[in-house]
Amino acid sequence: MQALHTAATGMAAQELNVQVISNNIANLRTTGFKKQTAAFQDLIYEHVRRVGAQASDQGTILPVGVDIGGGVKTVGTPRSMTQGTLSQTGNDLDLAISGEGFFKILMPDGTYQYTRDGTFQMDNQGRVVTAAGNPVQPTITIPNNASGITVNEQGQVTVTLPGSSTNTVLGQIGLTRFINKAGLQPVGSNQFIETTSSGTPQDGTANSEGYGKITQGSLEQANVDVVSEMSDLIAAQRAYEMNAKVISAADQMMQSTTALFR
Amino acid sequence: MQNALLIGLSRQMTLERQMDVIANNVANVNTNGFKADHSLFEEYLNSNAHEDNFVGSDRRVSYVQDRGTYRDVGQGPMEATNNPLDMAISGNAFFAVQVNGAERYTRDGKFALSSTGQLMTSDGNLVLGTGGPIVFQPTDHDINVSPDGTVTVVEGTAKTDSIRGKIRMVTFDDPAKLIKLGANLYDTGSATQQPDTKSTLQQGYVEKSNVNSVGEMSRMVEVMRSYTAIANLLQQQSDLHKSAIEKLADVPA
Repeated sequence: MQALHTAATGMAAQELNVQVISNNIANLRTTGFKKQTAAFQDLIYEHVRRVGAQASDQGTILPVGVDIGGGVKTVGTPRSMTQGTLSQTGNDLDLAISGEGFFKILMPDGTYQYTRDGTFQMDNQGRVVTAAGNPVQPTITIPNNASGITVNEQGQVTVTLPGSSTNTVLGQIGLTRFINKAGLQPVGSNQFIETTSSGTPQDGTANSEGYGKITQGSLEQANVDVVSEMSDLIAAQRAYEMNAKVISAADQMMQSTTALFR
Repeated sequence: MQNALLIGLSRQMTLERQMDVIANNVANVNTNGFKADHSLFEEYLNSNAHEDNFVGSDRRVSYVQDRGTYRDVGQGPMEATNNPLDMAISGNAFFAVQVNGAERYTRDGKFALSSTGQLMTSDGNLVLGTGGPIVFQPTDHDINVSPDGTVTVVEGTAKTDSIRGKIRMVTFDDPAKLIKLGANLYDTGSATQQPDTKSTLQQGYVEKSNVNSVGEMSRMVEVMRSYTAIANLLQQQSDLHKSAIEKLADVPA
């Protein structure tokens, strides 16, 4: 009975759906996290009686066919790259992007990774680094006697050095954008890497040419909406149950057949 | 004598197929843009199976067979996603997409961008505009899609909107004639298409499956009960056979 296999594909799809939703909920408080949604498609159809076929010698054309579908498959888990809300932290090195773009991070192996998580710190050399200790690009080194670190909307970092009445510009934190940012590949630790589907990275200046502006002392929250995740979770769970019901109904039908003529 | 068995069998076979259709609907309860199918049956009169040994009028033996599956082309519920590339059609129109060089149609408006900025489906099929595929520039932002499908963006530092194309929406004289290809795609089949003028496009929404789960569940129970009822009927028929043979063959000593 096809229904058994069809319902099994449905259960598998909903299981994956719950997995994706639970990952979103688990990352509810993850800075710069972008939520995913599972996308499904129907499987190919068996055309038992093809629509439009000639039904009689008189040329009668079937207005409808008998199409039996084989279930559902997961086509992808696209990431929703919408803006998360900014929350104030008051830390000088907490930076948030409102708009397009990612911070570019230099990894120990010389490759670049990209993130929306602007929880930056200073390492022992005074460099602005991520929580994992990898420097933000271009590298900004803050002298240890500097005070009053200011990052403006363009990413320009200025400090006050002792004995100086004017501010000193240390450099500018850049942003990188991708034509298809949803095509970036997550590598964990709130970071993404470039893929063939994301397009090549384009470095630019914050708050210009459509690049987002940088807000100092704030962090971008995850763009997960708890209420919609919870309702999606319930919908997924119910869909799973319904598919299980189909399996038990199909099973009962087969049982009644096997019990015949004993 | 065997007619009841055969009639029961013909019904059980169609019920089994109806169950398959229900299972497919339930499996696709979370598939974007999915349209539910329903089974149709018809009577099949067997002229060779006349039973004319009785007094009174003849009754022809009637079997049951599939006539078709018809599609519920009704609107599915809209879910807000806030994703600027998600589009849902309110109305009867379909999105036109390019699959292996051929034109196919879909109601699944969960779109994405390619690495070259082309608008495409989750499967990587190009979404067609009235003037070909819709292509975005690397510095485009604030994508806006109007209800008639016009896609505008703000490019780089520009202060005014630039038009990137218009999403092509097509409508069919009879959408039920479209052939389901799987992967949320339809082939034209024998339906004729024309550009749509009545439907509107909603940006930031996706159309969910129009499967009515309560209806499917009750139909499923109905199918299951009819199936087991026929199984019982067949059992009784067989018992009747058995006891008839036993009784008639029971020669008194």
